[in-house]
Amino acid sequence: MSDPSPRPDPSPRKVTLRLNPQQLDLVDRTVARLGLADRPALVRLALAETDAAPAEARK
Amino acid sequence: MTRKLISERILEPGTGKGIELLRGQVLRIEQVEGNQCVDFNAFNLHDYKEFMHCGRTRTVHGFRPTAGHFLWSAPPRENAMLYFLADTVGRNDVLFPRCSAFLYESAYGFHDHTNCHDIQAEAQREYGLTPDDVHDSFNFFMWTEVQQDGTVAITRQNSRPGDHVELLALMDVLAVPNVCGADVMRTSNYGLKPVKLTVWEASDADLAAVPALPRLRSQRTPDQFRNATIKATRELRADPDYRPEFTNVPLREQPVEVSLSADEAAMLDRLARRDLYGGDDAQALRDILFAWWEARFLTAANGAPSMETDAV
Repeated sequence: MSDPSPRPDPSPRKVTLRLNPQQLDLVDRTVARLGLADRPALVRLALAETDAAPAEARK
Repeated sequence: MTRKLISERILEPGTGKGIELLRGQVLRIEQVEGNQCVDFNAFNLHDYKEFMHCGRTRTVHGFRPTAGHFLWSAPPRENAMLYFLADTVGRNDVLFPRCSAFLYESAYGFHDHTNCHDIQAEAQREYGLTPDDVHDSFNFFMWTEVQQDGTVAITRQNSRPGDHVELLALMDVLAVPNVCGADVMRTSNYGLKPVKLTVWEASDADLAAVPALPRLRSQRTPDQFRNATIKATRELRADPDYRPEFTNVPLREQPVEVSLSADEAAMLDRLARRDLYGGDDAQALRDILFAWWEARFLTAANGAPSMETDAV
């Protein structure tokens, strides 16, 4: 952890998550449950739905 | 089928009693004079190593379990041992442990005083258990509160004669209620009073009231333990042949590359917990992913076991 300020660079970017096998198991079951194409699709869905949720719903 | 009476007894102040409560039987604990806390332990009648666990019960049902809740056994069993069928007061406690001789000596100067640990131990001795086998008690009719600073406190109660709780056994248990020994605290309004214990064969309506629960692989039995032998010596010695077999170890992380559009990158920047993760997008995005999963799919409180699981 270093920079606590928001990043001012909303340009396309690649982010590489590091997930252990247990986390991947949950991700893969959820991908199948929701009929998504792949793991990145689930991550993007989580991002979009979290962004659309009311701020008070985010914990 | 209506309820069929099996036994009745009065539990006098300073005493407790082990009751073999078989699956399908109901135990009522009833106020005689009112304002009496009743501590309670429970063991699997056929395997005393499985016992009612206040921590598990508290996590699932909160600080004040009541009618409609279950009394659970400790991990790795985690079985619903008893169903909380009725509660005419609605205030019980799973925050406080049983009171003990040490409490009364240290805080009040008593060398000998009625206390729930020793009462439980004496009642359990009938079944060959030792004082070390007494576990945290479920405290019926006990009023407690969590203070703003995180400490807990006992307040007075207001149960009346005839007020009662009822427990339906979902397995054969040794149920051990005792009249709480605290006569110099607010627990039972500074007095010790008898309580009445009644056991019935459950009615059809009683049995039908129990919600269905999932049965999961993680609810283990001793035949699944790597070491199922109950240790019979007090001293601890390392096993020279021990080789650890921790679950899913080693836990090696794998990369998952996610391409974000400009809009998605802007979302990440809005949502990222920079206070926790600074400029580390990967940690911030992982947090968003699993927090979203919890919000969308969890059917229990954060960190609590679920009773509506779809695990298979």
